[in-house]
Amino acid sequence: MAGKTTLTIGIEVNGEQVTHAVEPRTSLADFLRDTLGLTGTNLGCEHGVCGACTVEIDGAPARSCITLAVACDGASVRTTEGLADDPVAEELRAAFKAHHALQCGYCTSGMLVTARDIVMRLPEADEARVRVELAGNLCRCTGYMGVVNAIVAVLAARSPHPRQDP
Amino acid sequence: MAKFGIGQAITRREDQRLLTGAGTYVDDVALPNQTHAAFVRSPHARARIVSIDATNALQLPGVVAVLTGADLQADGIGSMPINPGLKNGAGKDMSAPPYFPLATDEARYVGQAVAVVIAETRDQAEDAAEQVIVEFEELPAITTIEAAAADGAVQLWADAPGNIAAQTQFGDAKACDAAFAGAAHVAKVAFMNQRLVPVSMEPRGTVAEFDTASGRYTMRTSCQNPAGLQKTLAEGILKVPAEKVRVVVGDVGGGFGMKTQLYPEDAVCAYAAKKVGRPVHWRASRSEEFLAGNHGRDQYDEAELALDKDGKILGLRVRIVGNIGAYGSGPGAVIVVAVGPKVITGVYHIPALDLRAKALLTNTNLVGAYRGAGRPEAIYLIERLMDQAAADLKMDPAELRRRNLIQPAAMPYKTLMGEKFDSGNFPHMLDRILELADWKGYEKRRGESKAKGKLRGRAISTFLEWTGVVHEEAVRMEVAADGKVRVYTAMQAMGQGIETSYVQIISETLDIDPDRVEIVQGDSDVAQGIGSMGSRSLYIGGSAMMTASKETIEKGRSLAGDALEASSSDIEYKDGKFTVAGTDVGIDLFDLAGRQPGKRISIDTLQKVDGPSWPNSCHVCEVEIDPETGVVEIVKYTTLDDVGRVINPLIVAGQVHGGIAQAVGQAMLENTRYDPESGQLLTGSLQDYAVPRADDLPDFAQYCDESTPCKINPLGAKGVGELGTVGGTPTVVNAIVDALRPMGIQNLEMPVTPERVWQALRTAKAA
Ligand code: FES
Ligand code: FES
Repeated sequence: MAGKTTLTIGIEVNGEQVTHAVEPRTSLADFLRDTLGLTGTNLGCEHGVCGACTVEIDGAPARSCITLAVACDGASVRTTEGLADDPVAEELRAAFKAHHALQCGYCTSGMLVTARDIVMRLPEADEARVRVELAGNLCRCTGYMGVVNAIVAVLAARSPHPRQDP
Repeated sequence: MAKFGIGQAITRREDQRLLTGAGTYVDDVALPNQTHAAFVRSPHARARIVSIDATNALQLPGVVAVLTGADLQADGIGSMPINPGLKNGAGKDMSAPPYFPLATDEARYVGQAVAVVIAETRDQAEDAAEQVIVEFEELPAITTIEAAAADGAVQLWADAPGNIAAQTQFGDAKACDAAFAGAAHVAKVAFMNQRLVPVSMEPRGTVAEFDTASGRYTMRTSCQNPAGLQKTLAEGILKVPAEKVRVVVGDVGGGFGMKTQLYPEDAVCAYAAKKVGRPVHWRASRSEEFLAGNHGRDQYDEAELALDKDGKILGLRVRIVGNIGAYGSGPGAVIVVAVGPKVITGVYHIPALDLRAKALLTNTNLVGAYRGAGRPEAIYLIERLMDQAAADLKMDPAELRRRNLIQPAAMPYKTLMGEKFDSGNFPHMLDRILELADWKGYEKRRGESKAKGKLRGRAISTFLEWTGVVHEEAVRMEVAADGKVRVYTAMQAMGQGIETSYVQIISETLDIDPDRVEIVQGDSDVAQGIGSMGSRSLYIGGSAMMTASKETIEKGRSLAGDALEASSSDIEYKDGKFTVAGTDVGIDLFDLAGRQPGKRISIDTLQKVDGPSWPNSCHVCEVEIDPETGVVEIVKYTTLDDVGRVINPLIVAGQVHGGIAQAVGQAMLENTRYDPESGQLLTGSLQDYAVPRADDLPDFAQYCDESTPCKINPLGAKGVGELGTVGGTPTVVNAIVDALRPMGIQNLEMPVTPERVWQALRTAKAA
C-alpha cells in the first residue's frame, strides 16, 4: 500500500547533483522520466527484460526500470541526455546513422548505453561477441544488423591495430 | 540536388532526435493537471459481471473516479465498430458481440477491461484498481480453434452459429475436383500458424483531454493512422461529429499493424477526460500489451496441391480456419477470410482453386493486423506445400518452382482469386537468387557441416505480397514565402523512415535543397487520409509526394507566367526557379509564393493508384542443426527483393532485415499460449514470450532488383514494409525440415524450438 513515506536521496544525474524526496517504490526510470523530465530513457517492459531503459549507474549499464531510485542514493547516473557531449557516444551516434541502426528509435537510448559499454570494455570484440553482449537489449525493428555493424565499425575505427579486411 | 534524391542511401532525417533522447513518444507527454488511468481487467476467459463495487477504491489516496461499463452505457458511449461486408456461417451479415470500451454484461477474454480508476498518480491508480471488487460468475469458455469448431461446442454468440463470425469461399470447387481427379500426384500439408504478439517496443499509451469551451476532445496516442482513429473515436464511440475530436501523434515506437486502430483504453481515456474534467494519461504496462494489445496470426490451415507427372500444378485446395478472438471488431475476420487468400496462389500459375476460409470466435484477446496480416499465413502455406511436393516428387524445390512460375509475358496476370498482378519477372528473380545464394555450391557446404557433426538444410521461397489496402491518399503541399515547402499528410512515421523518403522524392522533383522540405504529420487537424498500413506509405504516399511536387511546378509555371508577363508555355523550371525560355528573366519558387495571396502556393493532391502493388522476393536460407541438442542455427540467409523503384536502399534493407527478424521469431521462437482449461494467458511477459535477440539472428545478405518497376503508380515503387516477414517464415521452417527429411521428418510445428527438433529426432530414431 502506498503510504506517505518518502525518503530523500542525493544523486548525481548527468553531472548535476540532485536532492529529492522519493517514495521507496519509485523506480529509477520513473524518477528520471517523471520527476526530472528526462524522457530520453524509454520503458519497454518494466520487468527488466528488454533493455530499453538501460542507463549508466556509476559507469556501468543497468536497467533503470528495476532499480529503485532510493537504491541510487549517492550514486552517479548517466542517461542518453548525459551522453550528448561524450566523444565515444558521438562516434556511435554517427555510426548508428550510417548503418541504419535505428528505425522507431524506442530501443535506441538503451542500445547506445550498452554499445558504449561494449566499445569501452571490449575493444577486441568481434561480431559474434557484439551480438552476445547486445542480447540484453531488444529491438523489434531492425533485426539488429545495423546496430551490430555500427558497433563493429566504431570498434574498428578505434582499434590501434586496424583489422585486415578478410 | 541529386545527392539527396531518389535512389540514394542517405542517412535518415529522423535519426538525430531519436539518438539524443529528444523524441516525443506518447508517454513523454505530461499535461498540466493530468490524472492517470489504471484498468481493472477480467481474470476470467468468460464470465458474467454480477456487480462492481468501488467503495474501497474510492477511499484511497489520490483517487478521482472509478468508471465502469454501466457509466459509459448511461452516457451513450458506442462499441468498437465491426467491418461491414462480411458474411457469417449462415450467409447473413457478420455478427459478433458488441465490444464496448469497458465490458458491460459479460467479459469475454482474460485481460478485457471492465473498469477504470482515475487517480492523481499512476501508482495510486494501480493501487486502487486492485481494490475494485468485481463479482464474476464464470461461464464455460473456449480458447482454441479445435474447441470452437468442435461438434456441440458452446456457442459464444447467438448470431454466430458454429462460432463462425465470418466465412468465404473462392474459386471453383468442381473444376478443382476435376483437376485433382486427373492428377499424377497430390501433395498435402496441415499445420497451425501460431498466435503471435506484435511487441512493438513502445507499449500503447494515450493522453486525452477535453476542452469544455470548444466541446472538443484531443487525444494524443501512439498510432499509425491519426485520421482513422479520429473518425472511429468520434463517430463510433463518442457519438460526436468528427471535428469534435482531434488525434495527435508524436514519435511512434513501432507499429507493425498493431497500432492501426482505436483500442478500448483510448476510448475510455477520452471519455474519462470529459467526465473528470481533467486530462487523463495512460501508459500500458507490458503485461497489458500481452493481454490486450492485438495479437496476430492464429490459424489452422490445410492445403492440397494437384500436380501432373512433370510437376506442373493442376489445382490447389485450401482450408483456412482463423481464431479471431472474442469480438468481431477490427480487421481480425477480414484478414482471415479476405486478405490472406489474396496471395494464396503466390507467384505460380494455378489453373484451379478451391478455397474456403472461416473466422471463429473464441474467448481470447482479439487477433488483428500484425506485419503481413494474412499474407504470411498464406505464403507459409503455399511455400511449405511447394516444398512438400518437391520432396514427394524428389525434385529440386527451385526447379519445381521454376516450372510453375507465372511468366513475365503473362503480365498483367489475373489470378483465380481475381487479383491482378501489374508487373513482376519471377523467372529472372529466381535465376538471380540462385546465383546470389550460391545454390549450386550447397553440397560442398553440406559436406562441411556434416564433417562437424551437424545436419544442414536449405530452402528457397519465391513469393509476393499484396499491399495498399485503400488505393488513394490525399496530401497538401504548400510552398511558403519563408523558404519552406511543407507537406501535410495523414501518413504516419513509425520507424519506417518515410519522412526521409518523402523528402528525397520532393527535393528531387522540385529540384530544391532538402532542408527546405518539412513533412508535417501526426495530427488529424492538419491532414485527413488513410494513414500508414499495409505497406502503402511509399508506393501510394510517396507517389502523392511526387505528384504534388509536379502539380506545384505546373501551378507555379502559370503563376510565373503572370508574374513575368510571359506565356506559361515559355516558362521553364529548374533549380527551384522559373525562367522565361531563352532569357535570364526569372523568379525563384519561394519569391513567387511570396507574391501570392496568403504568401503561399498551395496544392491539394488526391493520389489514386490503380490497385495494389505486388512486391515480390526470393529468400534462401541455410541452417545447421546440432542433432545432439536440437539447436538450429541460421548460417546463411539471402534475399533478392523486387520492390520496384528503390527510393532509399538503406531504408529498404532495414525494412527487409527487420521483417525477416520477425519471421524468424515466428519460425523458431515466439508462441502465444492460453491455458486450454482456464483460458489464462501463459505467455504474458517478455520472460515467457521469446522475441529474437541479437545473438539469435544472422547477418542477412539483402539485394534489390529494380528491373521491373511497378506500373500502377507514378513512382514505380512497390511496398516493402511487410515483405521480409511474409517470406521469411516458410523459408526458415522449410530449411529445417529439409535437414530432417532424411530421417523421415516431414513437418515441425512452429516455433521450431530445440526441444521440438530434439523430440522429432528421437521419435524418428525410435521408429
Ligand atoms: S523497461 Fe527496463 S528492461 Fe525493459
Ligand atoms: S528501433 Fe524500434 S525497437 Fe529498435
